[in-house]
Amino acid sequence: MSTALALPAKIGASLLQIAEQAGGIAIMAGQILRRLLPPKIDRIEFFRNMYRMGVQSTAIVAATAFFTGCIMVIQAAPIVQNFNANHYVGWSAMFTTFREIGPLLIALMFNGRVGANNTAELGTMVVTEQIDALRALAIDPVTYLVVPRVLSMIITMTALVILGDALAILGAIVMANVMLDMHPVGFVNHALEMLVLWDFLVGVIKAFFYGSMISLSSCYFGLATRGGAPGVGRAVNASVVASASGVFIADYISSFVLG
Amino acid sequence: MTTATETNAMPTKTDAEAEVRKPGAFQFYAEELSDLLRVTIRTFYYIVRGKREKGDVIRQCFEIGNKSMFFMAVTMAFIGAIVLFQMCMQAKRIIPDLTMIGGMYAKLLIRELAPSVGAMPFATRVGAGIAAEIGSMVVTEQTDALRMSGADPVDYLVVPRFVASVIMGTIVLVLGAGIAYGAGFVVGVTTFDINPNTFINFTSVKGGDVALGLIKCVCYGGIIALVSSQRGLRTFGGSEGVGIATTQAVVGSLFAVIVANFILSSVGHFVFPP
Repeated sequence: MSTALALPAKIGASLLQIAEQAGGIAIMAGQILRRLLPPKIDRIEFFRNMYRMGVQSTAIVAATAFFTGCIMVIQAAPIVQNFNANHYVGWSAMFTTFREIGPLLIALMFNGRVGANNTAELGTMVVTEQIDALRALAIDPVTYLVVPRVLSMIITMTALVILGDALAILGAIVMANVMLDMHPVGFVNHALEMLVLWDFLVGVIKAFFYGSMISLSSCYFGLATRGGAPGVGRAVNASVVASASGVFIADYISSFVLG
Repeated sequence: MTTATETNAMPTKTDAEAEVRKPGAFQFYAEELSDLLRVTIRTFYYIVRGKREKGDVIRQCFEIGNKSMFFMAVTMAFIGAIVLFQMCMQAKRIIPDLTMIGGMYAKLLIRELAPSVGAMPFATRVGAGIAAEIGSMVVTEQTDALRMSGADPVDYLVVPRFVASVIMGTIVLVLGAGIAYGAGFVVGVTTFDINPNTFINFTSVKGGDVALGLIKCVCYGGIIALVSSQRGLRTFGGSEGVGIATTQAVVGSLFAVIVANFILSSVGHFVFPP
C-alpha cells in the first residue's frame, strides 16, 4: 500500500473494528432480550453469579466509596470556606458523590473486578472448548451462561451503588468532623435540607445503565476470545477498555438527560 | 488462590472453595504486599544499576502513552463536560451567578480531577495491558527463559514499563487536563451561556496547585506500573491465570490510586494550601 493511503486505511480499519464490536454487542443484547420473553433463566447459575459478583465485591466497593466520601470533603472544604459557608460542605460533597463520582468510581471498580473476571472466565471457557461442549450437549450458551451473568451484573451494580452511597456519607461525616469540626448530626441535617430524592435516584438510574454496559461488553469480548492464554489477556484488556469508554459515554448522555 | 483449572464452568465449585480460602485472606494480602514491596525495591535498584536494553523505554512509551491517547482523550473530554455541567447545576441552587465557575473549575481540574479521576481510565487501560502482557509471558515460560539467560525479569520487563508509565502517565494526564478544560469550556459557553472571557480565569490557580497535580500524576504513573507488573509476574495456571492476574491488576491499581489520592490530597491540603 502506498504511504499516502496508509493513514486513511488505518483509520478505516479501526472504524470497521469498532462497528463490528458495537454490532456484536447489539446482537447479543437482542439475543438476551429474546430469552427474557418469556424468562428462561438458569436459576443455580444466576444465584451463583449474584453471590460472586455482588457479595464478594462488597469489601472493595465499600472501601472505594468510603475514600471517595473523604476525598470529596477534602476538595469541597476550601470552596465552602472561601464563601464562609461551612455548613454547605455536606450538601456540596454529597451532591457530587450521589450524582456523579460515586456511581462512576464504583462502576470503574466493578468493571475491573467483575467485568474483567467475567471476560477472563468466558474467554477461558472458549479457548478450552467448553462452550463447544455445551453446544454439543444441546445447551444454549446464551441461556446458560450469558443471561444469568448479565442480569446479575445489572442487579448487583445497582445494589452496590446504593451501598456505596451509604459508605460515602460515612466517609464524608468522618472527614468533615476531622477537618472542619462539624458535628455529624449537623452535617446530616444541613445535607438533607438541600438534597432531594432525585439526586440519589439519578445515581441509581446511572448505575443501572453502567451495569448494562459493563455486562454486555464483558460477555461479548469473553465469547469473542481467540488464541490461547495470550488471547484471554487481550480479550480482558479489550473488554475493560470498551466498558470504561461505554461507562463514560453513558455518563455523559445520562447526566444531560436526567438533568 | 484457586487450584482447579478445568472445572470452572461447573456451578458447584465456588462455595466449597471460598470456605477453604477465607481463613488465609489476611495472610494472602500480607504476602502480596511484601512481594509488591520487593518488586518496588528491585525496580528502583535496577533503574540505577541495571543494564539497559536500547530503545526498550521508548517502545514502552509508545505502547503505554501513544496507544492509550485516543481512549484517554475521549474519556477526559467526557469527564470535563460532565463535571462542569454538575458544577453549574450545583452552583445554580445557591447563587444564580456563574461568573466564578471558570476559576473554580480550573483549580479543581488541576488539583484533583485531571490527575485523580483521569488516572482511573489510565489505570484500567495500562494496568490491564501490562498484566496481560507479562502474565502471558509467565504462563508461556518466557520469564523462565529470561532467568536462564541471566536476566532478571524485573530489570528486563518491569523497569522499562515503570519508567515509561511515569513519563507517559504525566504527559497523557497533562494533555488530558487540557482536553477536559476545553470540553468544560464548550459546555459552559454553549449550555450555560457563560461569557468566554469570564470563563477563562486562572487567577485562583497557584503554583502549589500545579505542583500538587504534577506530583499526583507522577505517583499514579509509577503505582499503576508497579502494581500491575507485580500481578503479571505472579501469574500462574494457564489462560485462566492470565485472566485472574489481569483482573487483580486492574482492581489493585485502581484501589492503590484511590488510597494514594486520599493520602496525597490530605497531605497536599496542608503542604500546598488551596
